[in-house]
Amino acid sequence: MTDSDSAPMRRTPVLDLLNKGSTQLGLFVIVLAFWIFFSSLAPGFLSRFNLNSLGRSLAIDIVIGFAQMVVLATGGMNLSVGAIGVCSVMLTGFLVQTLGLPIPLAIAGSLLGGAALGLLNGVAIVKTGVNSFIVTLASASLFSGGMLILTKAVPYNALPASIGEFGKSSVAGIPSLILVAAAIGAALLVLYRYTRLGREILAAGANARAAQMSGVPVGRAIIFSHALSGVLAAAAAVMLTARLGAAMPSVGGDDWLLPSFLAPVLGGTLLAGGMVSVIGTMLGAALVSTIRSGLLVLQVGNFWLQLFLGIILLAAVLLERYRAGLALKRQARRA
Amino acid sequence: MIIRLGGFIAASIVAATALTPLASIASDNRIALIPGGPHPYFAPWEQGAADAARDFGIAAVDFKVPSEWRLELQTELVESLAAQGYTGFGIFPGDAVGINSTVAELKANGLNSIALAGCAQDPTEMGFCFGTDVYQSAYLGTKALIEAMGGEGAIVHLAGLLVDPNTTLRTQAVQKAVDESDGKVTLLQTVADTDAQEAADQKINALLAAQKDQISGMIATAYIPSVVASTALRNLGDKRIKFVGIDDDPIVLDAIRDGIVAGTMAQNPYGQAYVGAYALDLLASGTCTVNADAAFVTTPQTAHFIDSGTLLISSANAGTYQDDLKALTSEIQAGFQAKYLTCN
Repeated sequence: MTDSDSAPMRRTPVLDLLNKGSTQLGLFVIVLAFWIFFSSLAPGFLSRFNLNSLGRSLAIDIVIGFAQMVVLATGGMNLSVGAIGVCSVMLTGFLVQTLGLPIPLAIAGSLLGGAALGLLNGVAIVKTGVNSFIVTLASASLFSGGMLILTKAVPYNALPASIGEFGKSSVAGIPSLILVAAAIGAALLVLYRYTRLGREILAAGANARAAQMSGVPVGRAIIFSHALSGVLAAAAAVMLTARLGAAMPSVGGDDWLLPSFLAPVLGGTLLAGGMVSVIGTMLGAALVSTIRSGLLVLQVGNFWLQLFLGIILLAAVLLERYRAGLALKRQARRA
Repeated sequence: MIIRLGGFIAASIVAATALTPLASIASDNRIALIPGGPHPYFAPWEQGAADAARDFGIAAVDFKVPSEWRLELQTELVESLAAQGYTGFGIFPGDAVGINSTVAELKANGLNSIALAGCAQDPTEMGFCFGTDVYQSAYLGTKALIEAMGGEGAIVHLAGLLVDPNTTLRTQAVQKAVDESDGKVTLLQTVADTDAQEAADQKINALLAAQKDQISGMIATAYIPSVVASTALRNLGDKRIKFVGIDDDPIVLDAIRDGIVAGTMAQNPYGQAYVGAYALDLLASGTCTVNADAAFVTTPQTAHFIDSGTLLISSANAGTYQDDLKALTSEIQAGFQAKYLTCN
């Protein structure tokens, strides 16, 4: 089930706001309210400088959210999104600076590296039957540790200037990184909405046993989703490298964990699996980025940001539980 | 609920700002001093910033600390401050190269930046780098240690964060001082990434537990290992191992007075903030530019380095070194404009 579906039902306006179809609209209204709130208190919030900065951060947050969303679709989770990210950052640096590969080739190599790490997660989960929480918790340490051993934690900071220039560039006033995130979003929308593979993934996430009995290759769907998660984490890593103009081991990691869950869960993707929302994930990331940027411009310390993000995630999860309860009641009434 | 809470916080800030009386100001510039992350070394920057605002009549000189030692948090903070109308930035680079894209963007928007305490890697849009000549400081500190050891023995180097652009320079300087001993002094080990409390505690105590009999001396080139090593040597009660640290934490100074520690290399963070804010105000006012032909020092990172001063604190000057540093700061500030800037 994707965010395109909605069952026509008679509901009160309040319940309507809580149903899945209105999640994105509700989020959009909240994001808009925050924009009005922050810009009225701090005029600098709408300055060109801040909007550029916000746009670039948002692009990376969106793709980090996608990296988690594609695994949530299967009912699993990927706690190694940040670890794959930092490995890909350093791999990009290694391929460009040490091996001297052309940038497009280095990016392709980095994405392949991310896919390989994601594939390892998927295969381990399917072959061992161990919960994805445990497998990816272990692999996060494994990947990070391996990266530190191989790179000795030395940053790659002699990358070509063109990498940083792309990170700063804009097309018609829109940061290039946002366009990259939008293109990735469009591809994911096509995957889940129009392809058989996408529907198989969602079926596997909704009810693995039923899907298996219907002939859906559940194991393949899980492995593919984790490999895709790896590719998306690597894409976010390449974007971050472009933003910073350098590859360093202090980025990614645990810092990506909370945003990776926040964006899809806020956007209406179910933790239980079977339903994703690409547009919702983008809006969820927009909410997180807006709050982060707004608090900074208001000079509210970064320490408060963690508190706010935690509260928002908790609220989103509670809302999701409430929506799931409503959905069950509706199903019972239909039956 | 979230919106209300955010609104309450924001309203409190606005109210607090409105109630703050403004000092008489000669310049409407707003200067931000931004370290790489939370670290005790930068604590004197706050006082230096406040004193510079008062002494030079700058509208605001604010000390802003990223919540963690991560480049992306630092760049986000810098960008948000630029959006708020700050016109000058004194930055300790979270990464010597990684900071340059943000600094270039600031420059493109007419905003000046200088590197403080640590340098950005050339080519950079930083006006100059004003900090401790870390290579020279580590070299002199190691020489002082070797002298305290009687000119021979095995030493251990307790180095700072690998992400700190100064760590490599300090490691090279320690090696140079060791090489000059003609084999009488050997470098037993370099223990890196000890500039965090937990890591320093674990690594230094494990080192002393396992190898104290082989160690004749230790040189620390970062703040936290200086403090931890001073405490560890005091607990050990063994004055045989000579130690030279860095910075002037009270624990290190007490250990010097008690003869447990041979000395420590003082840096001048107060002066970095004070003179840095003064220079940024002149640059942001538009009346001065950096003189490209000034007598800058060339380091492996930049061709525009200015030494903020360093000296060895030993039992002989433990009580008077701060006066020496203040005199040094005044001296640097008094001649700064003529020496390094071109003003209308």
